[in-house]
Amino acid sequence: MGLNKIEVENLSFSYPNGNRVLTDVSFSVTEGESVGLIGANGVGKSTLLKLFVGLIDGYQGKIRVDGFAVEKKNLASVRKSAGYVFQDSDSQLFLATVYEDVAFGPRNYGYSEEEVERQVTEALRKVHLEELKDRQIYRMSGGQKKLASLATILSMEPQIMLLDEPSIALDPGNRRNLIHILNDIRVAKVIASHDLDMILDTCKRTVLLFNGKIVRDGRTEDILRDKQLLEENGLELPLGLQRR
Amino acid sequence: MSKIRGAIHGIHRADDGKNRKESLVHPLSRVLVTFFYVLTVVSFEKYDLYRLAGMALYLLVLGLWDEISVRDMFGRIFPVLLLTGMVGIANPFLDREVYWQTGRFIITRGMVSMVTLLLKGVFCVTASYFLMMETGMEGICYSLRCLHVPKEFVTVVLLIYRYLMVLLKEVERMMQAYKLRAPGQRGVHVKAWGAFVGQLLLRSIDRAETVYESMLLRGYRGEFTGKNRAWNKYASLCYVFIWTAVLICLRTFPVFQAVGNLF
Amino acid sequence: MHMADALVAPVVAGTMYACSGAAMGCSIKKVRLENDPKKIPVMGVMGAFVFAAQMINFTIPGTGSSGHLCGGMLLSAILGPEAGFLTMIGVLLVQCLMFADGGLLALGCNIWNMAFYGCFIGAMVLWKRMMKNGMSKRKIAAASVLGCMVTLQLGAFSVTLETLASGITELPFSAFVAVMQPIHLAIGLVEGLITAAVLVFIYEARPELLWGYSWTEDRQQGGRFTYKGTVISLLAAAAVIGGLLSLAASSDPDGLEWSMEQVAETSELEAEGDVYEIAGQIQGTTAVLPDYAWKNSESAAGTSFSGIVGGTVVILLCGGCCLLFRFFRNGRNGTVRNE
Repeated sequence: MGLNKIEVENLSFSYPNGNRVLTDVSFSVTEGESVGLIGANGVGKSTLLKLFVGLIDGYQGKIRVDGFAVEKKNLASVRKSAGYVFQDSDSQLFLATVYEDVAFGPRNYGYSEEEVERQVTEALRKVHLEELKDRQIYRMSGGQKKLASLATILSMEPQIMLLDEPSIALDPGNRRNLIHILNDIRVAKVIASHDLDMILDTCKRTVLLFNGKIVRDGRTEDILRDKQLLEENGLELPLGLQRR
Repeated sequence: MSKIRGAIHGIHRADDGKNRKESLVHPLSRVLVTFFYVLTVVSFEKYDLYRLAGMALYLLVLGLWDEISVRDMFGRIFPVLLLTGMVGIANPFLDREVYWQTGRFIITRGMVSMVTLLLKGVFCVTASYFLMMETGMEGICYSLRCLHVPKEFVTVVLLIYRYLMVLLKEVERMMQAYKLRAPGQRGVHVKAWGAFVGQLLLRSIDRAETVYESMLLRGYRGEFTGKNRAWNKYASLCYVFIWTAVLICLRTFPVFQAVGNLF
Repeated sequence: MHMADALVAPVVAGTMYACSGAAMGCSIKKVRLENDPKKIPVMGVMGAFVFAAQMINFTIPGTGSSGHLCGGMLLSAILGPEAGFLTMIGVLLVQCLMFADGGLLALGCNIWNMAFYGCFIGAMVLWKRMMKNGMSKRKIAAASVLGCMVTLQLGAFSVTLETLASGITELPFSAFVAVMQPIHLAIGLVEGLITAAVLVFIYEARPELLWGYSWTEDRQQGGRFTYKGTVISLLAAAAVIGGLLSLAASSDPDGLEWSMEQVAETSELEAEGDVYEIAGQIQGTTAVLPDYAWKNSESAAGTSFSGIVGGTVVILLCGGCCLLFRFFRNGRNGTVRNE
């Protein structure tokens, strides 16, 4: 039990206006595992990620993150162990300089200023942004901002990372760099994306969602090679597998 | 369009100035001295052009000492000159008493008071420009906290500063997209006023919501804690005392005349 | 509308700082009472929004472009007057520091002229009153136009008063008012129309964002357009504007003008008196500079030669020292880097 970083049992969720987004979803993520969450637009990938960190409440079923049930009284612990990286880096980074932003989390969790500095340096080292620590955020490129967003999460030493479309709007070089960095970070990860090539390179296991239900949960290789399955669910074979 | 570009460049330059080096002097000392300077400049009598000119000393020393670039100074000074000029333009016409005369050349009190006004405007703008170049917006926010300005307000200022650039660029993109589809229009057409700004507003609010979520996920509980950089206490105190003394001297004694009389 | 530092006397600036500071204190208190942590980020981003929106050029049929979007009114209609006021202060502070719109000393005046009226008169009085019995497009439009016009009139009038009280211009009060008020009537109208267009758009897209929407919900919103509130506010506005215009046009404006001058003169004299007194004491005790006629500026013109020489020497000396210091500092850094 302790090994499971995320446990979801019979999770259903509808928005207050009655829109049903998720129906009877169950799966788990073990320590150090990377899981790709794929599906067409609007199948509930982002909703699922937001439910994990309690940004949306009012669900039915069970969600446990790092052993804590996701409910109001546990939110602080849940959010400390699960780091969420937003799709839009400009929303993720709200302070003026990289250092300040990466230090925001640790400071809020009451680290001493030396510890904060150590955490920030370590987090920036992991994403290779040490030299940019005093850079103004609006002066950074999209790729650098994405890496800085990762660092803001890493500085809190999360047990699980939740990433919403991390590779969107990145050029091939930055995207490759991001993939390498993600593979070097050895914590449990859930990556929601329709960049199937990236999922192929970062995740051993994949969960395919369609209309709020899990259609398939298994090895990435198997799912992403199944042309018919992908096309039925609004996706297509990743480029990397098309030619073979 | 150029207005937006101009604003973006302005922000860039203000940040350039600050990035150049770390200062020993606490930003609060700089804020206090600048404030005192502006106060002193403004307190000069309206015919006291002569001693007012001496106040340029502060700007000169500061500008040279901190190697402040004066590249876009003039762009800032011009609108202020225009504004103060508009207010002061009546003075030469209404106040025709003779101030100084050699032969047929007459300077009236009105002229003197107008020049004094313009000079005051230039000095004050330059002083706050220098302040911005020396401390940057974060430094100013930090000194506001030191002055016990409520943290909610300081946080709001920091966020405005951060999202200024993001939204300016968004407006620029929107204007470009608009212009490409509406050639020959100088601005946004009456019919599109509401939708254009309204869209921007809705997007801003959505962004604010994501920002809030992002803060929440990193343990935000209504407070920002800032970095306490090590500033040199003695340097900061000296800075305040020396400048205050110099400014008081310049305000009360005709220092220049005194030096001139030595020769 | 932004006043520059040079246009205000210290006494006026101090007074306005005190007034604005008091209003700010109350607003902070109110915002804290609401205890809504979400408000802070919304305020920050909305502040940046007002900034960006002011950069948009609007084609106004007939004329050039608009000065400012009526920020105070717009912000208050979304955030409520107190939070809107705080946000406007933030905007004005950033404008003053980063773009030299207004000055440090004049900030107190600018807050009062541009934020206070918009947020508290425009939103708290007009908007609240008119939206009490439910919102509608026409009411929103009417409130926006009216609010902007009234608040700009009040703001322009305050600018006039502050400038005159500072004793800066020789212009008589009546002439100044006669220039300021009509110009701002036109600007207010345009800004009001833009604000109205934006708020109506928001009302149609996401009405729950508007301040005061929640109080009207249970009252079956979209109700009739109540004329009473509008008429009262219109009358009030007309009275204010009419009063100001008649004041400006009146052939005998001396009463106010005279009193203004009195105020300006006495306060200035007091301030000067203090400084001179202290200076006199200093001089008395130290007696370094015994024979300078620094009390009257007229004779200063006569002794200008020595002043010019002295000024040149001091400036050269200080400038030279700075350059020398810079040379050594940079030289040292250079060697450190080389090692």
